[in-house]
Amino acid sequence: MSTGPRLFPSSSSSTSSSSSSSAAPTSASSKPGSLGSPFATSSSSTLPSSSSDPSPLAGGTGRPAAAAAAAGFTSSSAAAMQSSPHHPHHHHALQASSASASSYMMSIGGSSSARKKTEGKTLSIKGFKVAPKLPPNYEQETWQKLQAAVRAVHEARPIDSYLEVLYEAVENLCLLGGGATLYERLTAECESHLRLEAEKLSVASEDPVTFLSVVDACWQAHCEQMITIRSIFLHLDRTYVLQNPHVQSLWDVGLIYFRRQVAEVTVTQRRLITGILLLIEQERAGDSVNRSLLKSLLRMFSSLGMYTEAFEPHFLRATHELYAREGAALITTMPVPDYLAHVEARLQAESERIVHYLDIHTRRNLLATVERQLIEQHIRVLIERGFEELCNANRIADLSRFYSLLGRVNGLEPLRVAFAAYIKKRGAALVCDPEKDKNMVQDLLDMKQQLDTLLSQCFGHNDRFQNCMKESFEAFINMRQNKPAELIAKFIDAKLRAGNKEATEEELETVLDRLMILFRYIQGKDVFEAFYKNDLARRLLHNKSASVDSERAMLSKLKQECGGQFTGKLEGMFKDMDLSKAIMVSFNQSKFASQMGDIELSVSVLTQGYWPTNKPTSMNMLRIQQEFQKFYLQKHTGKQLSWDNPRGDCLVRAAFPKGTKELQVSFMQTLVLLALNAGDGVSFPTIKAETNIGKSSLLRLLQSLACGKIRVLNKNPKGRDVNETDTFDFNTDFVNKHYRLKVNQIQMKETAEENADTNEKVNQNRQYQIDAAIVRIMKARKSLAHQLLLSELFNQLKFPMKPADLKKRIESLIDREYLERDEKDQSTYIYLA
Amino acid sequence: MKVRVKNWSAVAVWRWKVDDDTCGICRMAFDGCCTDCRLPGDECPLVWGQCKHCFHMHCILKWVHSPNANQLCPMCRQEWKF
Repeated sequence: MSTGPRLFPSSSSSTSSSSSSSAAPTSASSKPGSLGSPFATSSSSTLPSSSSDPSPLAGGTGRPAAAAAAAGFTSSSAAAMQSSPHHPHHHHALQASSASASSYMMSIGGSSSARKKTEGKTLSIKGFKVAPKLPPNYEQETWQKLQAAVRAVHEARPIDSYLEVLYEAVENLCLLGGGATLYERLTAECESHLRLEAEKLSVASEDPVTFLSVVDACWQAHCEQMITIRSIFLHLDRTYVLQNPHVQSLWDVGLIYFRRQVAEVTVTQRRLITGILLLIEQERAGDSVNRSLLKSLLRMFSSLGMYTEAFEPHFLRATHELYAREGAALITTMPVPDYLAHVEARLQAESERIVHYLDIHTRRNLLATVERQLIEQHIRVLIERGFEELCNANRIADLSRFYSLLGRVNGLEPLRVAFAAYIKKRGAALVCDPEKDKNMVQDLLDMKQQLDTLLSQCFGHNDRFQNCMKESFEAFINMRQNKPAELIAKFIDAKLRAGNKEATEEELETVLDRLMILFRYIQGKDVFEAFYKNDLARRLLHNKSASVDSERAMLSKLKQECGGQFTGKLEGMFKDMDLSKAIMVSFNQSKFASQMGDIELSVSVLTQGYWPTNKPTSMNMLRIQQEFQKFYLQKHTGKQLSWDNPRGDCLVRAAFPKGTKELQVSFMQTLVLLALNAGDGVSFPTIKAETNIGKSSLLRLLQSLACGKIRVLNKNPKGRDVNETDTFDFNTDFVNKHYRLKVNQIQMKETAEENADTNEKVNQNRQYQIDAAIVRIMKARKSLAHQLLLSELFNQLKFPMKPADLKKRIESLIDREYLERDEKDQSTYIYLA
Repeated sequence: MKVRVKNWSAVAVWRWKVDDDTCGICRMAFDGCCTDCRLPGDECPLVWGQCKHCFHMHCILKWVHSPNANQLCPMCRQEWKF
């Protein structure tokens, strides 16, 4: 009997009695255990959530109410019916809900008293004498009643009958096997109604937006109507439809007809799409539009299964066209940063659009379209027009945007290339211009730091960008041979030298670390080594090092970078200095010390291989030097000592009439000063004979003493330049507020010479390395063509060189009979064992 | 007036006092070091035998201690004595 789904949580007798008492006009037909009609469940209609949800898509499925009903909740369908304003039961149902609750209570009490009365009586059941018959035209009449109701629903009129009656009519028809007929009649009725609606639409307003609202209203009405109809015909949906797999549910059939009659009509569809696209375009242009209308219509397309075929392609094409146009127009007129910001805003707006009314599946295609049109098409122009400027201006935010936008369209590779080109261009401008040599290293440090910031803040520490930065630095810093290495060495010298009070130890440490990064990029490390060694020698010998700790720190950095081979000699220099101190201690304790007079001597004894060599000077040894040499050779047999006087320093006490001063001067300057002790007005040749110093050096020395900042000598006649005819004497008017003074040497010329010297030394060392490499290669290969040999050499040798230099070395090796040319092929060399 | 030197920081350079340029054993320069050392100087000293021949100390020690050298100077075949 009760084969249908139970619509009540418990369909016991007490429940049925409550429903019979509440639905008074039709109570007679309510049997215990019957299917139970949704109209009898008025008690559940009091749930606020169900009565306030008129959405046709509640539940999100094609047949939402049906699904809910299957789960045992009839509330939504019932509520949907009762909430329709023209429903006759509406008022009654709400009243009944409270009545049913009280009658339920009563029926419990009443049933106990009723049980007492019927006690002891028998109840007999007898069959009908005549089998009951249906009226002959029952089916016809019932359908007419239902048809009237369906039409009333479609025309939004009040229904004449009670819904419960209608429901039971459907139930009866189904039970009598009239399901198929009823289904066909009903669907035909719906289809004809939709046909009428479609006709109305075809003459609806021309205005696209108005048309959209008309269609929307039509769709909303359709949904509501289908819910009502389905509720009436619920029994049909639950039995006939479910039992026949090929029959569509009422809700689905409603959608199919709606789609066939309304949405798929070419004109309507075209107008719909045009209207929607127009609205979207308006919104993109900045107007505010009715988003809920759009949302509702697009949901309609989704529900009808037409979104992907009918709407999405048109939408994407419109998007494509719009942004292709916009991109082409803006890229030429807008500054790049503004353009990028605009693109970002566009992407943001489109994402919001998806949230607000588009289907989520459109997201990928939509964003891809926008990205392609606004970014991918213009990558080259964007980079060409804006990247360099942004880097120059250090526009962190704009560059981050640049990076993230290009990252969306696989545009990072061109950006990386541009980044590399930018670094090379900017770096080359710094490195290759001799006029900028003065600030080159500081500028490079600043540039490196700025680029590091860009890398971390804008380019997300991208490894490829990091590598490209490294390669670019290597490329440009080696564009000019030797000079950058020399300048870095000098820069480090300036930082490590005493009197450099601008930085604390920590600051110095970080600067050195950053310098080491630059140093890492340099190929000609031997140049650096040579200059660094020269500077280190000067710092050590003249005691100008700011701090031994910093020196050692720098040394360990170099060691880490280039290995012990590189720093071994530098370490040896430190060792020599320590050793010299020990030697002086023992010298001062020896008998030779007594020969020193009042001169305090300290000698730095250098190991020849470690230190940069000076040209040996032929000078007479002074007496105290001889004493020291005796002492030294006595202690160290097998060694010989040579003096490097130009590197010596003296502290000279000069008793000027207006105050005694101590002068910090070089040994050579000291010799000149001592020569003047002889008397007033000493001539140039006399000094030269006395000191045994070469002419040009002596001229420079005299200039430093007589024409520099601190003029301890008077020159006669006066003038800026020193001539061989001049005579010199002490400046007896000399005054200075300091007691101890340093008389600078004339450095400029010397430095230039020194630089040339150092470079020359480096080149000589390189020649040996080239020779060794050539011999090594040829020994392995026995015979090799010129070009192959060159490319092999470029692979092996770590410093920059010109093919012409290599050719010279090959010639030299041929002369020395290490190699010979092949007689048949002059461009091939053969190794001679 | 006169000037007087108070302090003098002089610089001197030392090297080995030998007539030959290279060590007869390892053929490396005396100014350089033997093949086992990295740096020249006091770390890799020279030694003279009684026969007046001079070698890197490391070189001659290795030679003298090798089984077939018989404690002879490699140059003059006389007995090697420091």
